[in-house]
Amino acid sequence: MDLVQVKKAANPFKPKSIFWVAIFCAVLVCSWENTGMSFTELFTEGWPHMVSYIVGNPTIPGSSFFPPRLVAADLKIYLFAMLETLEMASVALCMSIVISFPLSFLISRNILEILFPGSSALIKLLRRAIYLGSMLLANVCRSINEIVWALLFVSAVGLGPMAGILALGLHTAGVLTKLLAEGNEAIDPGPVEALSATGAGFIKIIIYAVMPQTMPHFVSMVLYRFESDVRSAAVLGLVGAGGIGFYLFDKVRSFENGDVTTIIIIIVTVVWIIDKLSATIRKKFI
Amino acid sequence: MIFLQDVSIGYQHVPVLQNIDLQVDKGEFIGIIGLSGAGKSTLLKSMVGKTKILSGEYRVCNLPVHKSSKKGMKELRSRVGFIFQGYNLVNRLNVLHNVMSGMLKDISLMRSVIKFYNAAEFDHAYECMKLVGIEQLALKRSDELSGGERQRTAIARALVQNPELILADEPVAALDPKSAVTVMDILQNINRSFGVTVIANLHHLDLARRYCSRILGISEGGIIFDGSPAELCSQHVELVYRRRMLAA
Repeated sequence: MDLVQVKKAANPFKPKSIFWVAIFCAVLVCSWENTGMSFTELFTEGWPHMVSYIVGNPTIPGSSFFPPRLVAADLKIYLFAMLETLEMASVALCMSIVISFPLSFLISRNILEILFPGSSALIKLLRRAIYLGSMLLANVCRSINEIVWALLFVSAVGLGPMAGILALGLHTAGVLTKLLAEGNEAIDPGPVEALSATGAGFIKIIIYAVMPQTMPHFVSMVLYRFESDVRSAAVLGLVGAGGIGFYLFDKVRSFENGDVTTIIIIIVTVVWIIDKLSATIRKKFI
Repeated sequence: MIFLQDVSIGYQHVPVLQNIDLQVDKGEFIGIIGLSGAGKSTLLKSMVGKTKILSGEYRVCNLPVHKSSKKGMKELRSRVGFIFQGYNLVNRLNVLHNVMSGMLKDISLMRSVIKFYNAAEFDHAYECMKLVGIEQLALKRSDELSGGERQRTAIARALVQNPELILADEPVAALDPKSAVTVMDILQNINRSFGVTVIANLHHLDLARRYCSRILGISEGGIIFDGSPAELCSQHVELVYRRRMLAA
C-alpha cells in the first residue's frame, strides 16, 4: 500500500462518509418537520402557558405548584406510598433477575458454544434455535411497555401493587436479559478455555470463568434497572398499579399542584439517594 | 504417554499438520520449535481434543483422542495440565480461587457454587502454590500480579490437577528473561521431581536447548526435526525457521 492509498483511506471526507451524514441529516429534518417540532413556538407561545400553569390560578387555592404543600398527615401517606413503590421495584427486580440471568446465557453466542460444543450442522442448528427462541422471548418482554403490561395484569389480578410488580418484573426481565447478554459476550475467552481444558463442566465454567468476569457489569446493570424501576413504578399509578404514582396522578387530575410538587420532591430525593448508593456499591464490585 | 501414527490435524477440514508420527515417553521434557503459524499450538491443543483429528491413530495417556467420547475427553483433560501464553486467569478472582479452579472436576457442583473447599483440597492447593513460590500471594487478586507471578499461578492451577502430562503453549513468550528462566526452572523441577511429562512450545532456542531433553522442529505441516538438543545444529534451525521465507 503506497502513501497515496494510505492518505485516501484516512481521509475523513470520503464520499461514503458524506453520503451517510447527508442521510442522517435528511432523516432528522424530515422527522422534525413531520412531528411539528418548533422551539419558536415553545419560547413564544408555549412558555407563558407553562408559567401560568406552574404559578396556578390565583382564585383557586392549591392550584400553584409552589410552595409545595407540606401537611404532616399527607406527607406520611406519601412517604408510605413511596416505600410501597420501593418495595414494588425491589420485588420486581428480584423477579426479573431470576428470569433474565439464565435467559441471558441462552442469547450469548459464546456461552451457547460452551453449553453445546461442536461444529456439526445439528449442533449449530440447535444453538441457533435456542438463541432465536430466547431472543424472541426477551424481545417480547422488552418491547411491550410497563404500562401496557400493567393494564394487562390489572385486568388479571385487579388494582394494586401486584399488577405493578408483575408488569415491571416482566419488562425489566426483557431489558436485563439483553444487557446481561451483551456483558456475557464481551468476556475474555481465555479463562473459559483454561477451565474447559481441565475437564470442568458447563456450570462450573460459568461459575468460575464467566460470572467473575461479568459481575461488575451485572451489578452495574441491576442497579441501573433498580433506579429505573423505581421511576417506572411511580408512573404505574396511572393505571392503578399502586405506589406513589397513584397519589401523583390523583393530585395531577384534581389540580392539587402543591401536593404534586411535594410528591415529585419525594420521588427525586429517593432516586437521588438510590443513585448515590448505587455508585458506592458499583465501586466495590469493579 | 503419547502415540501418534499417521495423524493429520486441522480446523474444519483443512489440515494444518499432516501424516505426523510421534511417540513420547513418560518423563520426557519436550520443546517444540517453529515459526508462528507452523502448527505448534495446533499440535498441543490436539492433545486435549481442542483441534480436529482428521485421520490417523492418536493416543494420549492411553486414551484414544481420535475417537474419544465427550466423557472420555473430560477424563483426559482432567489428567493433562495446560499452560497458556496469556495465562488465562480470571482477573477478578484471587490466586487461591484461580488455582482451585484447576481441580473443579473433582469438586461437587454444590461446593463449587459456593466455592467451599475441604481441608485436603486446601492443603493440596497450598502445596502447589508453595512449589511455584506464590503461597504468599494466595489472597491477592490475579490482576495485581506481575507476568511471572501470573504464569506461576497458571502452573499451580495445572499442578492441582495432579497431571500426568503438562502442555505449555509458549509459556515464557510474554515474560522478561529473568521470569522466563524462573518459569522454565519450575517446569524442569516438576518434570524431574514428579516425573511429569512436559511438552512446551518455545520461541527461545537457548531455553529449548538448556531445559529440554528432546526437541521437535515443526515446519510446512510436519515434524522436520526430532532429536536431542545436542543434535540440533544450525542447519536444522535454518530449516525450521527459513523454509517458509525461502518459499515466499
